[in-house]
Amino acid sequence: MKKIDLEAAVGFFLLIGIFSLGYISVKMGKLEVIGSKGYTVYAEFEQAGGIKPGADVQIAGVTVGMVSGIRLDKNYEALVSIQIDNGVRLQEDAIASIKTSGLIGEKFVQISPGASEKYIPAGGRIRDTESAIDIESMISKYIFGKI
Amino acid sequence: MKKSLYGAICVVFIFCLSLAPAAVPTACAGDATDQIRETADAVIAVLNNKELRKPERRKQLREIVDKRFDFAEMAKRSLGPEWNRRAPEEKKEFVSLFSDLLENTYIRKIERYEHEKVIYTGERVEGSYAAVRTKVVTDQGVEIPVEYRIFKKGTKWEVYDIIIEGVSLVNNYRSQFSSIINSDTYAGLVKKLKEKVKKESE
Repeated sequence: MKKIDLEAAVGFFLLIGIFSLGYISVKMGKLEVIGSKGYTVYAEFEQAGGIKPGADVQIAGVTVGMVSGIRLDKNYEALVSIQIDNGVRLQEDAIASIKTSGLIGEKFVQISPGASEKYIPAGGRIRDTESAIDIESMISKYIFGKI
Repeated sequence: MKKSLYGAICVVFIFCLSLAPAAVPTACAGDATDQIRETADAVIAVLNNKELRKPERRKQLREIVDKRFDFAEMAKRSLGPEWNRRAPEEKKEFVSLFSDLLENTYIRKIERYEHEKVIYTGERVEGSYAAVRTKVVTDQGVEIPVEYRIFKKGTKWEVYDIIIEGVSLVNNYRSQFSSIINSDTYAGLVKKLKEKVKKESE
């Protein structure tokens, strides 16, 4: 009787351990497995500049969502899927741009809200985008000129 | 049983293939590019007309640009969410200030161009919105990518944003305007714009 109690307790703690581990990896990896709280919109960029899934999406510096996926579409442009928190509505003329925090910091998507009365529905598209700016190629272009 | 499954897969595959061409957007030069080209050509023609005096030339440039650019839409987009908080008269005043600002800034810049060439690199149409990609080649051979974001008004395409070197004009003004409004007030922004327009038109 006593022995069974001990084994049950160990098993119980083991289960708690596994569950916590699972919870931590989901949280840290920003994997939204159960009940993702938000809706998805898409944005097409000519140059995604190496943005990664899990990158922040900000409006006025406040994180309102994250990049949930990125792939190449048929026009050889980057199609970025963005998960926006419920309760944050994007106007149809909102502009999504890929920015870098600092000079060499990580990339994030910045959305500047527009003035339209229409809003982008779930599964809709942010039409106006600004690609990541390649400062290096821009500088070299104006310093050295092109052949 | 197996055979019919293959048959079904084949049918689905062929069906998908037949749909594919319809899904590919038109990459060749179309109506949108033609209309942008028409405006650009008209601007270049005026610039190359050496007989025109400066005030006359500026007036003609303004007329050409006015026809193609929707300044009201650009002003609205540039002001962002603040636009909806403004009264109709304020909106009207803002549009006229904004178009003066753009005209003064950009027509002055364009006036200096003489030997630039414009190459059309493609367009993308999606319903009543489109993007026309161009490259402006300068004397020294530097290529500047310029993209026109346009939307359809009747049969006419009108510009609502220009993206130069990947930087959107509307977004540039949008962030500047919102930071001025946040640190000052809307009235402060209008005052600043008025001063700027006055200074540049002198």
